[in-house]
Amino acid sequence: MVNTQISKPDDNGWVELNMGPQHPSTHGVLRLKVKLDGEIVKEIEPVIGYLHRNAEKICELDYYCDSLIYFDRMDYVGAMNMEVGYLEAAEKLLGIPPPERAQWIRVVMAELNRIAAHLVWAGAYGLDLGMLTPFFYCFVEREKVLRIFTEVCGSRQETNYMSIGGVYQDFNDKIIHDILEFTEQFPKKLEDIFSSFVKNDIFIARTKGIGILEPEVALDYGVTGPMLRASGVEYDVRKAEPYLVYDKINFDIPVSYRKDNLARFLVRFEEMRQSIKIINQAVKKIPDGPYFNPKAKKSLMIRLRGEGEVYARTESSKGEFSVYLVGDGGVKPYRLRVRSPSLKNLSILPYLAKDTMIADLVAISGTLDLVFGEVDR
Amino acid sequence: MNVLTRLADFFAALGHYPAYVLAYLFETLFMIVFVMVSFIVMIYLFRKYMARLQLRIGPNRVGKFGTLQLMADALKLVGKESILPAGRDDLPFRIAPLIVFIGLIMGFALLPYGPLYYIGSLTVTHSDVSLLLLFAALAIMPIGEILAGVSSKNKYAIVGALRGVAKDVSFEVPMMISVLALVMMASARTANPLNLTNLVEVQFIPYGIPQIIGLGVFFIAMVARASFSPFDMGESDSELVTGHTTEYTGMRFGLFYIGLFGSIFLSSLIVSLLYLGGYNGPYSSYLGFIYLLIKALILVLVSFTIWLSVPRIRIDRFVNMGWKYLLPASIINLIIAGIITLGVGI
Amino acid sequence: MIEVKEPKKELPLIGTMKAMLVVAKHLFQKPVTVQYPEQKRELPDRFRYRIFLSLDDCVGCTLCEQVCPNLSIHMQKVDRENPRNKRKIYPDVNFGTCTVCRNCEEICPTDAIYLTHVFETARTRNSFTYSPEELSLPEEEVVK
Repeated sequence: MVNTQISKPDDNGWVELNMGPQHPSTHGVLRLKVKLDGEIVKEIEPVIGYLHRNAEKICELDYYCDSLIYFDRMDYVGAMNMEVGYLEAAEKLLGIPPPERAQWIRVVMAELNRIAAHLVWAGAYGLDLGMLTPFFYCFVEREKVLRIFTEVCGSRQETNYMSIGGVYQDFNDKIIHDILEFTEQFPKKLEDIFSSFVKNDIFIARTKGIGILEPEVALDYGVTGPMLRASGVEYDVRKAEPYLVYDKINFDIPVSYRKDNLARFLVRFEEMRQSIKIINQAVKKIPDGPYFNPKAKKSLMIRLRGEGEVYARTESSKGEFSVYLVGDGGVKPYRLRVRSPSLKNLSILPYLAKDTMIADLVAISGTLDLVFGEVDR
Repeated sequence: MNVLTRLADFFAALGHYPAYVLAYLFETLFMIVFVMVSFIVMIYLFRKYMARLQLRIGPNRVGKFGTLQLMADALKLVGKESILPAGRDDLPFRIAPLIVFIGLIMGFALLPYGPLYYIGSLTVTHSDVSLLLLFAALAIMPIGEILAGVSSKNKYAIVGALRGVAKDVSFEVPMMISVLALVMMASARTANPLNLTNLVEVQFIPYGIPQIIGLGVFFIAMVARASFSPFDMGESDSELVTGHTTEYTGMRFGLFYIGLFGSIFLSSLIVSLLYLGGYNGPYSSYLGFIYLLIKALILVLVSFTIWLSVPRIRIDRFVNMGWKYLLPASIINLIIAGIITLGVGI
Repeated sequence: MIEVKEPKKELPLIGTMKAMLVVAKHLFQKPVTVQYPEQKRELPDRFRYRIFLSLDDCVGCTLCEQVCPNLSIHMQKVDRENPRNKRKIYPDVNFGTCTVCRNCEEICPTDAIYLTHVFETARTRNSFTYSPEELSLPEEEVVK
């Protein structure tokens, strides 16, 4: 039955507005039930699950090596970071540590993907606020990263590059040359993109002092990643509990004490600069040696057995991404559970956007950097 | 001798009244053709310009360099089913796009394109108070947009219409005060400053130079009137889907689209007429139209660049800006204009 | 740990104009668009899409069927003389569900199944499933 009447305001005089799941600024399939008092947003209820693909359960039905492609599709703009997160857990469980060379390669790829993911975010955030052009500059640069990915592993986004016990394909001189070329020209372009945002006083007016997230509240809600660092909490899994070879690399964690939208914007851009620094060091430090642990060689891929339970934390571009993995001695995981940063970051939205205007709701939900493959899994 | 009398002379063999009826008819036809052609050029320019700024190529498949792309798009819009929402207010919903379109055409009909009123303006609208008529015509388009928003019974559309009202109210007062300063300055030199031709002809130096503040206020108000970014809160696509046009499809939506791009051209023409010297220049009776068009095109390109590079202003900030900054600025401009008029007498 | 720098404060209107200039500067840059069907970008060596099968090398071990994450590969009986493939079973691939993860290529003990640069496979078709014979043919010859 079709209700053709526009719904009446409730007792408070608030009107319920349904934003999404098909709405231009909800980045996919977020649905927000919003109670409006005129332009003022009074209540927000995020409704999730429109992109639920049962990834965790499917992973439990597949071999350890097959789960990777489902992790690629969780945070589909940062697939390499997802792979690192899963493999941290899987390799611990299966007892197949990757060789030194593979670890360095993983760091390079993960940081390249962090840049790509942040660029997607920056472009989409511009669109949220109504600036159409920086989006294209961001995507031109991102395309260069994806070109490197194609060179390395033959696929742009859903890379399936890392495997249990190493990586599928080795780096060669051409790839290293390409990466160094990228890191050389990218900072200039990044500053160009950066200035097209921050020189704009309207952009500053739309972000400064809006969506203030107090650090205590952020910690209570389990917010991580750039969101948390923009609230002034100095926490990054890469420093707090180094995985791969992050403890051998010299880099800084950007922190801002502003706590607002602008802080999140600045922190993400500074992270891109730090990622360039990491890549530059890591590419030069890649040691010679095997890129694949012989214990996990090709034909054994589906014979790997693991027992016990592990929990591994990594820092994806959205925040702390961790995987809980239980093996019962079989070739398939007994239980797989993902702590996805986007879901936790989304939970803060009703708190952040309360009593703001519709335009601010969009500006705030833009800074959360939501990727729905990861929220709904 | 204006266009109408020339046309009437052309049809003189048919007798006085039929000749004038035909002349009016053809003049109106020419005007509509002019509006449509300028609209097509505008959109083509916008797409190509936008593409080049965004490191793209733009339309290049239909016709040479994509020139026929707009025709293809228009055909697509005409061919689409025009979906009518079930809960609509039928009459306002149907006439709202027409009101927007008619308001736009009326704006074009009132403009002088040269000292002799070239093709494009209607002779019947030539009047001693054409400046007032022009602003009266400009007030029609927002009515269509508000009607569209309220009658589609969609919450996004209603919020869009509300924003539209708040926006219109806040920029129109400063706009009219800056025009007042213009008229005041012109009144020192001409007996009838409310006539647009007189107002343009007295600008030996463009009035935008002594009244730079007024030019700024008026330009901002005109961009806001055309709902161009950063003042497109009424149809902000990332917040309100498309605001008051959310429920419109097919050619009804096409009329709103024409209204958007036509009105930025109209706004630029008005700004260049009132502040940038319009069609004044050497041989203006023949080349005046060209001068006017060049000025207007430059302003259109500036508006496009603003659209592409600037985020949307929040509605409450815009209302603030209108009342707290634009209004005092326009009053200051009025005072400066008064001092100049009395003291210097440009 | 570093604290991010605040951007320089810009005056209203002047900041807007500066941002406009930053954007307008790009008018003089070359477009990055590649006009696809006419111009084609060079594909990297490792680019992967269309799966090929070498019928002579396939030993019918079913490893690819097992490793395929979303069951795109199924073994089919093919009547073909091959001393190495006693069971006469070969994989077919459903490209409607294939995610080009190249797990099959990695696990294949004889390198019989492999991914290639061919990616222009759009055509009118009845089925997305390529039979083992079709997998061994170039794309132009697959068209029925």
